[in-house]
Amino acid sequence: MAIINQATKELQVKIVYYGPGKGGKTTNLEQVHANVKDVQEKGKLVSLATSSDRTLFFDFLPIEAMAIKGFKTKFQLYTVPGQVIYNTTRQLVLRGVDGIVFVADSQYEKMSENVESFQNLEENLISQKLNIAHIPYVLQYNKRDLPNVAPVEYMEFLLNNREVQVPSFTSVAAKCEGVFETLNMITRLLLNKFINESARKSA
Amino acid sequence: MTGLPQLIQEDIQCLDDALGELLERSEATAALIIDKGGPLICQRGDLERYDTTTISALAAGSFCATQAIAERCGEINFSTIYQQGDHTSLLLRNIDENLLLIVLFRAALSVGAIKFYGDVTVDRVATQIQKAQQRAPGETVDLVSLNVVDASEVFRKGS
Repeated sequence: MAIINQATKELQVKIVYYGPGKGGKTTNLEQVHANVKDVQEKGKLVSLATSSDRTLFFDFLPIEAMAIKGFKTKFQLYTVPGQVIYNTTRQLVLRGVDGIVFVADSQYEKMSENVESFQNLEENLISQKLNIAHIPYVLQYNKRDLPNVAPVEYMEFLLNNREVQVPSFTSVAAKCEGVFETLNMITRLLLNKFINESARKSA
Repeated sequence: MTGLPQLIQEDIQCLDDALGELLERSEATAALIIDKGGPLICQRGDLERYDTTTISALAAGSFCATQAIAERCGEINFSTIYQQGDHTSLLLRNIDENLLLIVLFRAALSVGAIKFYGDVTVDRVATQIQKAQQRAPGETVDLVSLNVVDASEVFRKGS
């Protein structure tokens, strides 16, 4: 859960970008880092990657933005390594997660990897006694500029076919299309969740 | 896994004092208390020299990864990582289920002394966190009255 420090009027939230390997998670963070404006503080983008540019441990981008007046709101954006062999690492990075952006690869041949990765996310959350139904998340259908993409309706059927549907966005992360819309939506869901929980407790 | 309790001014003051005392006694350069998920909770010392937000995220990942390795080697009581540097060394020490202590110190200093004083700090912090947990189990800060800005505009793309 988010770290709320009432003494210093500070709120820290952790958002994890999850999804199959080479789906564009790191690209999302790179675009946020390169293009974000008017934030209070933007840290360095730290990438722990292999020589072939695959994320080995995680990417990390701290940003401080004005989300709640009077509260310093610190967003910590992480990615996980997408490759199947790095599952223990994904579990470690998910520790203390507040919100998730699931970045799916829109290419037809990647659909099974998308579904596997989403199931893996659910399993890893359960291993930390968390339930996907209780964590704010959004879906991002990336690489929409490629010729062999699956229709959005089909991706919705595969990944968003639930009792309560979550917001989903099409994107071309490499061109920064859909990146900020996705980030702002997960921010909105997170803030609403905090406020609703507080309201329930004080009722 | 129970989460970090709501910390009030009294808790933060206690944590801050504990870190101040650690720095004074050990002559370490900086000391941090972090959550195992990565966020920084409290820090003291010569902070201008370090990017403590990033160090916190990396240290949390490093500690949890090394702990997972230790468990796979049959070590269940893993508690400390010591990174020996040429100029600056670092000690990472488990506090409780949720927190870690990071101490940055000149490599010339004795790591034994840092561990000794670090253990005193760990006990003091752990005791205060227990108090916070007992004070209000499961309670979070009331955010109902907070003034949330338009969430569609929190992050804006430059032209």
